[in-house]
Amino acid sequence: MKFCNKLILTIAFLLLILSSLLSFSFAEASNYPLTIIDDTGSAITIPEEPQRIISTAPSNTEILFSLGLENKIVGVTNYCNYPEKANNVEKIGEMTPLNLEKIASLKPDLILGYGLYQLGEIAPLKEAGYNIIIIEPMTINETLKSIRMVATICGITEKGNSLVESLTQRINKIKTKTSNIDISKRPKIFIGGIYETIWTPGEGTLFNELITLAGGRNIAASLPGWAKISPEFVAKEEPEIIIIPIGAMGQVDESNIKENISKHAGWSNIPAIKSGKIFVVNEDLFYRAGPRLIDGLEKLYEIFYE
Amino acid sequence: MNKSSKEIAGYTNWRKKLILTIIWGSFSIVVINFICLNFGVVSVHPKEIFSLLWGSSHDKTNSLIIWQLRFPRIIMATLTGIALSTVGGAFQGILRNPLADPYILGVSAGAALGACTAIFLQYATGYFLTPYLPLFALTGAMLSIYLVYMTAKVRYRLPLEGLLLSGVTVTFLFSAIITILIALSEKGLHSMVFWLMGDLSTANWNKITIVTFPVIVGCLIFFFFSLDLNALSLGEEEALHLGVNIKKLRLRIFIIGSIIIASVVSFTGLIGFVGLVVPHIARLLVGPDHRVMLPTSALLGAIFLPLCDTLARTIIAPSEIPIGAITALIGAPVFIHLLRRKSTKNGL
Repeated sequence: MKFCNKLILTIAFLLLILSSLLSFSFAEASNYPLTIIDDTGSAITIPEEPQRIISTAPSNTEILFSLGLENKIVGVTNYCNYPEKANNVEKIGEMTPLNLEKIASLKPDLILGYGLYQLGEIAPLKEAGYNIIIIEPMTINETLKSIRMVATICGITEKGNSLVESLTQRINKIKTKTSNIDISKRPKIFIGGIYETIWTPGEGTLFNELITLAGGRNIAASLPGWAKISPEFVAKEEPEIIIIPIGAMGQVDESNIKENISKHAGWSNIPAIKSGKIFVVNEDLFYRAGPRLIDGLEKLYEIFYE
Repeated sequence: MNKSSKEIAGYTNWRKKLILTIIWGSFSIVVINFICLNFGVVSVHPKEIFSLLWGSSHDKTNSLIIWQLRFPRIIMATLTGIALSTVGGAFQGILRNPLADPYILGVSAGAALGACTAIFLQYATGYFLTPYLPLFALTGAMLSIYLVYMTAKVRYRLPLEGLLLSGVTVTFLFSAIITILIALSEKGLHSMVFWLMGDLSTANWNKITIVTFPVIVGCLIFFFFSLDLNALSLGEEEALHLGVNIKKLRLRIFIIGSIIIASVVSFTGLIGFVGLVVPHIARLLVGPDHRVMLPTSALLGAIFLPLCDTLARTIIAPSEIPIGAITALIGAPVFIHLLRRKSTKNGL
């Protein structure tokens, strides 16, 4: 009896995998129902082309808009401020805790979530049969893959492919420009902040990948994840360029930020401060795993070499 | 042990008071639950809610919102309110300290450390430990209780000052470890901080099934300690003369209280102030007789917390305010008021 159960389970499982593989290979034709394996490894079947989409992260919102799906978005978070039109979409509240009542009331047929923590929060809706896809790209390649996945789910595979194609071309352009630059000639980069405590992106972060791709040497590249570092560490590494990512561009006084950084105790000998190479940039271009990462990449290259 | 020997003069009419309390309390709980059901980001007409509750409406979205999202949350808040207030009242009794709350003896710090360890390990090892989080929290709570007990006990006695001080110390010690875990865990940071702030939004029927038993049974057991607690309120020596085994009493209330708190707190995180303030309000309303005070405090908690939670989720909807902030915001002024009133009464 037990053996029988196991056998049935195994067969069912194999069938599930097979069917998802099949649907992936036939995804080109966008024939629904469609089974997708999201970034948490769970298989989700999309019964028909989604018409009411909710995005629970700014990066997802940007992906949806870049694919021209704006008319199908029925809800975004308080933080979704790009493109401009995203401000006109109904707000579902914070990224966490997700307001499930609000989400359910918008009657979505697709919810694009972000991160494992949202998967935990959104469980009641998942149990109630809502289609939930969790996107959590860790690298630029995975971000491109996510864009393709969203396009496939929404029945516009072609559009997704061409968007990813053009983004890839822009990445390659930067790659060819930087590939011949000798390691020792690449500028040492420090990503700072406007707060006393310094958190900087290290290995495994999108920001670090972008710096490397743009031909820079991140002084925190050997530290894992987002690392809290001491001012001493920065002084010792002698960065040649300091980049300050901030949110809410245009609302803070850039020169003020630059002056604060230059006056930091013990940093007067840092090359970047001596030469005044301090740049304030829009953090959204580097934190949000969407198509604007490539804008960020180009921005970094511009800062490093132009 | 002759129970009537522990009767204290002046604590009369307790049966009448208790029955009144239970009738009023149950009635208010039902009313408050229904009122809370009516508030949320999405407005559902009370008529529709009635028909959803009777099962005569089949609107899929509304049914999901009311039955799976709003109702479990309110019930969870009710149970949490009962647990925190009762344990708070009982702890104030055994510690003979009006500033005691369910968290003062380190139970919460232990549960928090357990929960944070589970979250930390989940991200460090890749095992999905979220389902076992309550188990971790309970283990942590037990560990803290054991530590507090071992530090505090002096041969056959559990002296008050020692108990309080070791509770506070263990809380500090565990908080330090939690801080380190938070510093080490980048991905789990979010879940940990959230857990520490207290959150009822993840409530569902499964969790309620798990929590109900320890809360209800535990609180009922507390009720049977009422006479001993009454005796203890006269003083340790007086209680000994009345035949109360103080050490055993403290130990039992400790252990049962920690189980109740751990089971609740592991699902809701740390919700502050309820366990401190509600028993005081109860004492003010019905007097210090634990036989009436404990049930009153349970029922008041069951009313107070769902109300706070409803405020937390509606004031700035669709965003939410952490419930701990609301309980303290309402609780603190009430508490100050009570303290002032009491001290002027006593002519201090």
